[in-house]
Amino acid sequence: MSGAANGGPVMRIGRQQWADAWAGLKAIAPLMAGSAAFGLAFGALITGAGVNGWTGLFASASVVAGASQISIVESIRADAPAVIAVLTALIINARFALYSAALGPVFAAFPLRWKLGLAHLMTDQAAVVALQNVDRYPDPVRRRWFVLGGALPFVLVWLVGTVIGIITGPIIPPSWNIGFIVPLMFIAVMVPVLRKPEELVGLGVTGAVVLLSQGLPFGLNVLTGIVAGLIAGSVFAEAADARRARRGEHQDTVVEAAEHEAGEAL
Amino acid sequence: MTVFLIFLAVAVGTYAIRLSGIVLLSNPEKLPPRLRRALALVAPTAMGAIIVNSLFLDEGQWRSFGAWHLAAAVAIGVALWRRSAGWAMSAGAVAFALLLVAGL
Repeated sequence: MSGAANGGPVMRIGRQQWADAWAGLKAIAPLMAGSAAFGLAFGALITGAGVNGWTGLFASASVVAGASQISIVESIRADAPAVIAVLTALIINARFALYSAALGPVFAAFPLRWKLGLAHLMTDQAAVVALQNVDRYPDPVRRRWFVLGGALPFVLVWLVGTVIGIITGPIIPPSWNIGFIVPLMFIAVMVPVLRKPEELVGLGVTGAVVLLSQGLPFGLNVLTGIVAGLIAGSVFAEAADARRARRGEHQDTVVEAAEHEAGEAL
Repeated sequence: MTVFLIFLAVAVGTYAIRLSGIVLLSNPEKLPPRLRRALALVAPTAMGAIIVNSLFLDEGQWRSFGAWHLAAAVAIGVALWRRSAGWAMSAGAVAFALLLVAGL
């Protein structure tokens, strides 16, 4: 009789680990449609920009961050120098530093190879699911399987979406204006969770600067807008935090800030 | 080849960013407050920049007023009303399709 039939390991992975991974999958499942749609949009956009489909698939597998990948496509379309495309994308991905800081204690007891592997799979969605379920999994072994069970399938769905987009992109008629999915998707994920005044300040300054610097070459208006918005929003946030401190009001911890920001990026 | 190298560079940089806190920071509250504030604003500013750039500009030129702006307004309205990404996405997509069919 097989080990599986006896309740033993399946593919050399214990039953409990499979159950924990399944719980991770169930926790992230409601967000998977968005991952597939985003992957599809990226796949369709990259072929529209004249980039090789294999390169697009490589991008989705290695960068695993849709907003930055789309910004690279925009930079390519604007004939921007490589350094500007890379810099813009890395600034967009700087938000992962906040998730990573929040996840440090969550992953602290994991073996190094698990930390190295899971770090690559930490999308906005996987990070927030991991952070929100820490208390359910005090045992680090069970916790790491839960995190993997959510993060890995989410990335696989993202890759499948990318492949479908790469295949279907060239046959979608230009009159469908598939590019509209970019602002639509970001509106859908960001606007519902916008609440803090510093976010509105940052967003307002970013939007204004992007438009006012529209004449800059190589799509530099996007990078300029992001930097200006970050500076304005940070100055406003510092003043707001000082006010909250004077009044003795609660200030977000790093984990709370990461959960909130990941919510925006979902 | 250049495009591949751009994605490769971003992949390496992004992995380093993702790894930074997990490997180096056992206590997240040690993150300097100023850096925490700036990082917390990256998502709204980066997404805002992409939204505004793609909505109002097309390859550096002003986009003519039409379906893109109206459908985006619908999506923003529904997003604020329902506070739901799914509803905002659906409403924006339906509005955009209808506006295109209407010839806008």
